Amino acid sequence: MPVPRDLVTATVDLCRALRERGVAVTPAESIDAISALEHVDLGDRVEVRRAFEIVLANRHEDVAVVGELFDAMWGGALVEQPLPDASRARISAPPLRPPDQLPPLWSQRRDRGRRTDEDEDGDPVRLRMPSDRQGVRRRDLATLRAQELETMLRIARRLARRLARRPSRRWKPSARGSAIDLRRTARGSLRTGGETTEIAFRERRIRKAKLTVVCDVSGSMDVYGRFLLSFLYALQSAFARVESFVFATRLHRVTEQLQGRVWTSALEQLAMGVDEWSGGTRIGANLAALSRDWPHVLDRRTIVVILSDGWDTGEPAQLGAALEEIRGKVGKVIWLNPLLGSPEYRPLARGMQAALPHVDVFAPAHDLESLERLARHLVL
Amino acid sequence: MRPEIVRIRELMERQGYVTDAPVATAVYLATALGKPLLVEGHAGVGKTEVAKVLAAALDTPLIRLQCYEGIDAAAALYEWNYAKQLLHIRLSDHESRSIDQRESEIFSRAFLLERPLLQAITSEGRPVLLIDEVDRSDEEFEAFLLEVLSDFQVTIPEIGTIHARERPYVVLTSNRSRDLSDALRRRCLYLWIGHPSLDKELRIVRAKVPAIGERLAREVAVFMQSVRELELAKRPGTAETLDWAAALVALHADAIDEEIVRETTGCFLKEESDHRALAAELDAGRLAAMLSP
Repeated sequence: MPVPRDLVTATVDLCRALRERGVAVTPAESIDAISALEHVDLGDRVEVRRAFEIVLANRHEDVAVVGELFDAMWGGALVEQPLPDASRARISAPPLRPPDQLPPLWSQRRDRGRRTDEDEDGDPVRLRMPSDRQGVRRRDLATLRAQELETMLRIARRLARRLARRPSRRWKPSARGSAIDLRRTARGSLRTGGETTEIAFRERRIRKAKLTVVCDVSGSMDVYGRFLLSFLYALQSAFARVESFVFATRLHRVTEQLQGRVWTSALEQLAMGVDEWSGGTRIGANLAALSRDWPHVLDRRTIVVILSDGWDTGEPAQLGAALEEIRGKVGKVIWLNPLLGSPEYRPLARGMQAALPHVDVFAPAHDLESLERLARHLVL
Repeated sequence: MRPEIVRIRELMERQGYVTDAPVATAVYLATALGKPLLVEGHAGVGKTEVAKVLAAALDTPLIRLQCYEGIDAAAALYEWNYAKQLLHIRLSDHESRSIDQRESEIFSRAFLLERPLLQAITSEGRPVLLIDEVDRSDEEFEAFLLEVLSDFQVTIPEIGTIHARERPYVVLTSNRSRDLSDALRRRCLYLWIGHPSLDKELRIVRAKVPAIGERLAREVAVFMQSVRELELAKRPGTAETLDWAAALVALHADAIDEEIVRETTGCFLKEESDHRALAAELDAGRLAAMLSP
């Protein structure tokens, strides 16, 4: 059964709305979505919705967005309601937002699926913008001295070169490796009529470690904020595989904000996207969120670097448990505490006490020198 | 609902796999559109089963490629049988044949070890190819996989290009221990299998542990739903529910009480901290609440 033309148009509209919401839908997937319509019962709304979820979503987080937008465009939550003709679907399609009004992509990704009060009134595609209640304070992060940043980048590059090496389970040919390469030996023996005269060797490839950096941007870290963020940025530009997160009350992934941009625009993106600079800290809850929501940034080849002063407003037990869990998954946990730079400091904060048993390296991070010394710890 | 989807569902249920409309729709669309199906979900929710049951339902062979860290093309596609090659060279040593002839001899199909991907391509009929736990392989392997999945042909330099006669049905599973590349995701249809609803879990328990009494089955299903709501390091999946139900049957229990829960916690909770969390709930006298839906 051919798919009605207006239904095709409506599907294309849905794909476009999805792209607006940060779900990457390729043209090939739009075509698949239309082909899928030939294979489902067009009178069954739920089934059509399900098909779109299967074809258009690529990851778990996207499934809800596809469903939500489908409901918004095909109207109503009634289950047995037949599909309206697509001319109506077009009218009820959300107005497209001009690009300059879009909040940064990543904050959409983190916030979507969350419904605000306004949403209940029937504007389900509206994005949650930073609200006044949370006390938006856009900080002027862009004034880091150029020279300071240069040094920071240089250090990061040096760290990247020295960063831990670990043998992978893959093999590569080598002149005098640790194991015999039968494949090349067999081939070589042909030349001498089946007699093996030269043995080919192979060895394990070397594989660099990955970094996951979690930076505390709460009030107590205020003074160090810009310094540490520029360190984050420098790491990100020097290493191939770094995942960056910042948190105060909530955890934000900022890898994309820091990637391949000029420092100033990266910071603008950051300041816009994170709506709670210098709020209270919930280290434990955020580390728990990290291991729950981002399992793929924590594996045995990963070194986790936490930049925080350990002043936690949550339960110390939770911090301990969260860190223990992370420690179980990754290669190494490094906690960099800017306060450690001061000779009088003792890690007495209750949170810090709970965290220490699960930390491999506890080191200062208050000036460039202390960051340089980090190199010898980045070994797995 | 489309009759074909209903039929797929019936076929799967007949294989003893309790399914629901989303799973059946995804499987049907994967077969109808001829696209690989990527199944994600927590451990123990029956991701691998989807492929097994699909193969049984369609009555075609299942070819399984288990991924692991460091898996490479040699382990997934093909490998020459070196020992046999070397032996053959020695045995044919005295025959007067040119090197070219002997080379073409030992690089023929007789000396080829077919690994799962090549098996799937050369197989008669349309097999189901299960690429299990693809998140355990590394990025390089994923890129290689992408190439094979996009045209289902393999070039072996010594033999030539082998095309698949019919494209296999492909099911990939992932536990999300590593984020898969967008390129791979885009090639696939996507199915997320969450923890089962109470109703589905109850049907699974009845189907898989037929010896269980109705009261116990219901209590097990309700209790597991409550357990998943606790703050746990590892939420138990359906596989754990079934282990536990089987254990309770073996212990001749016909209802759940506090003592038996404490004794058998290890069947469904596999972390020491989770044991403590459950024990705390029991100490607080919340068992009755956990047993009411």
